[in-house]
Amino acid sequence: MKRLLILIGKIIVRILRLFRRNAGNLPGIILWHLSRHKCCSMFKVDCPIIAITGTNGKTSVTNCIAQLFERSGKNIITNKEGNNLDTGICSLLLRYCDMSGRVKADMLILETDESHVPVVYSQLKLETLVVLDFFRDQLDRNGEMETLIRKIEGFAKTFEGNLILNGDDPNTARIGRQNPNNKNVKYFHAERYAFATDSIFEASEGRFCPFCGKALKYEYYQYSHIGKFICEDCGFGDYEPYITASDIDLEKPVFTAGGVTYSPKQGSIYNVYNMTAVAAVAKLYGIEQNITNGVINEYTVQNGRMETFMLGDRETTLNLAKNPVGANMTLRVMNEMKGEKELLFVLNDNVADGLDVSWIWDINFSVFKNVTRVVTAGTRAYDIAVRIKCSGYDESLITVIPDLDGAVEELAKNAGRKFVIANYTAVQPTRAALKRYIAKNSARSC
Amino acid sequence: MSEIKILHMYADMLDLYGDSGNMEILSYRCRMRGIECNIDKYSIDMPAPDFSQYDMIYIGGGADLEQQHIANDLLSCKDGIEKAYKNGTFLFLICGGYQLMGKYYRDADGNEIPGLGLFDYYTVAPISRRKRCIGNIVVSTDITGEEIKIVGFENHGGQTQDIKTPLGKVLYGNGNVSKGESEGYFEKNVIATYMHGPMLSKNPEIADYMISYCLHGGELSPLSDKLELDCRNVMLDRLLK
Repeated sequence: MKRLLILIGKIIVRILRLFRRNAGNLPGIILWHLSRHKCCSMFKVDCPIIAITGTNGKTSVTNCIAQLFERSGKNIITNKEGNNLDTGICSLLLRYCDMSGRVKADMLILETDESHVPVVYSQLKLETLVVLDFFRDQLDRNGEMETLIRKIEGFAKTFEGNLILNGDDPNTARIGRQNPNNKNVKYFHAERYAFATDSIFEASEGRFCPFCGKALKYEYYQYSHIGKFICEDCGFGDYEPYITASDIDLEKPVFTAGGVTYSPKQGSIYNVYNMTAVAAVAKLYGIEQNITNGVINEYTVQNGRMETFMLGDRETTLNLAKNPVGANMTLRVMNEMKGEKELLFVLNDNVADGLDVSWIWDINFSVFKNVTRVVTAGTRAYDIAVRIKCSGYDESLITVIPDLDGAVEELAKNAGRKFVIANYTAVQPTRAALKRYIAKNSARSC
Repeated sequence: MSEIKILHMYADMLDLYGDSGNMEILSYRCRMRGIECNIDKYSIDMPAPDFSQYDMIYIGGGADLEQQHIANDLLSCKDGIEKAYKNGTFLFLICGGYQLMGKYYRDADGNEIPGLGLFDYYTVAPISRRKRCIGNIVVSTDITGEEIKIVGFENHGGQTQDIKTPLGKVLYGNGNVSKGESEGYFEKNVIATYMHGPMLSKNPEIADYMISYCLHGGELSPLSDKLELDCRNVMLDRLLK
């Protein structure tokens, strides 16, 4: 039966390829139905699997961990395109397995959606699970955040492999307490950085001890609810870090982790946490230090993550923000930059965005400095306009243009620095619209 | 200068889907009219306030875990809240706040959280956590004296039964129960609803109904609600087509 399913799957992949379609998810969906929802169970994987999950940073961390092993000369399989549900992972393995379902590789590095961790790894044997963070994100797809964390906790209760957890996120660190017999729980941690605060700055989750319900005490907040916390009642948060990021200076940017100083390309506190997770995996697997240096210091993010465009002479920074934490970080970067600027905010509510847009009310717009104009676009252009207006921003400076090309045209009208924030499904169309504008206008000038 | 005083309860624990945005909207709409809007916060382990001195008490929604955490504290406030409500304080309740003012809330694990019992309704969450009422919702209501269609976003497992005076009729979405006909609970000084979004962001008439009530029926100067109404119309066009 399994062989038959593999055969069917491989034929579907071939057919899709024939029509030049990306076989990223569809073969998996078909096999999911045919295999009674256990589409990953037909594969034989003998090599170690590392899975990376969490709300923010999965793609970056997965790519970096994949590079650690790739540069060490290992033959790895990874889901670069981010197909991270069980069906996406099934489609990926279909491409690499033989007719008996055996997957030949030295290592599988798999970005895995938070809600699919128990699904996939009840079918495939997992060696290491890296959990980065939990924030409000697409809550309506997953039910409430608590449900999501409980799913992974349920999985962790019987998991005895390596657990690499963000020790500064109470939503993540609690997973480390689920299986007292697991001696392989490792926390990564970061010391206070320059913009850390003593009180909470942005709306967030998990401010109470999940074990006894008392308010958690924080020594500092790095951003949102990420920071050095402890429950004074039950001691939750009192652990020995496996690896610590210290001497964080985002101006340069540099930070030290495990005694080694890194100079990453991107200077954000996010990136420091992500790269500390990468360094933890490197330490665990004994990766050569010069390889780890190369991966962490050379990693750059593209695809609408702090990406720069030139609209004529107007420098424009585009950043993806799929939740309040991401949006708040972009606003921080924008505010820390001197001079006047204009903002385009593109907000969609497609299925992958989670249909609901109320998370924009958790963005702290009170720090809106030197923003001389706001343009809004996307399927929920009016929602973000109302939100910014009610934060006290002058309504007459807000222009709503749902159509993206029109909105980019409007943004480029005035001179000066521009920022663009786009949510998940908006980011690629926004890049395309920016590129269309650039192509059209450079053609005109020559 | 006229003034309204609001008590926002458990803001740090019950705040789902932008519920705190409702406070931002009320204070914005007051500020634009020169009305002073003072919002005090109350949460667990704080000394009990004098509930009756407030024009409005506001409670948002939370996940099951948070609701369990505040349930006992809320019960200890029962007398104060009941007295305020009977004296005419406006109760604005979203989702979890709505459920906990009824007789009880039984969660998906079968734990029964006693409510304050101010109202006769009760809520039962389905055993499967997957069975939730999730999505955009359109409700027709005449509480402002005119028939209006209001838009929000619902996400609740709990099924609330025994509602005699709902906020309105469901035109799209679920409401109090899965595929239900009615949404929320209404009295002249109570709006209880499953509508997040936040609820007031696209429904300025409801915000003004509450502000006007808190000012004892005073006439409010009109504001430019073009963005808000355009925002709602985009959704009405999409959902009711």
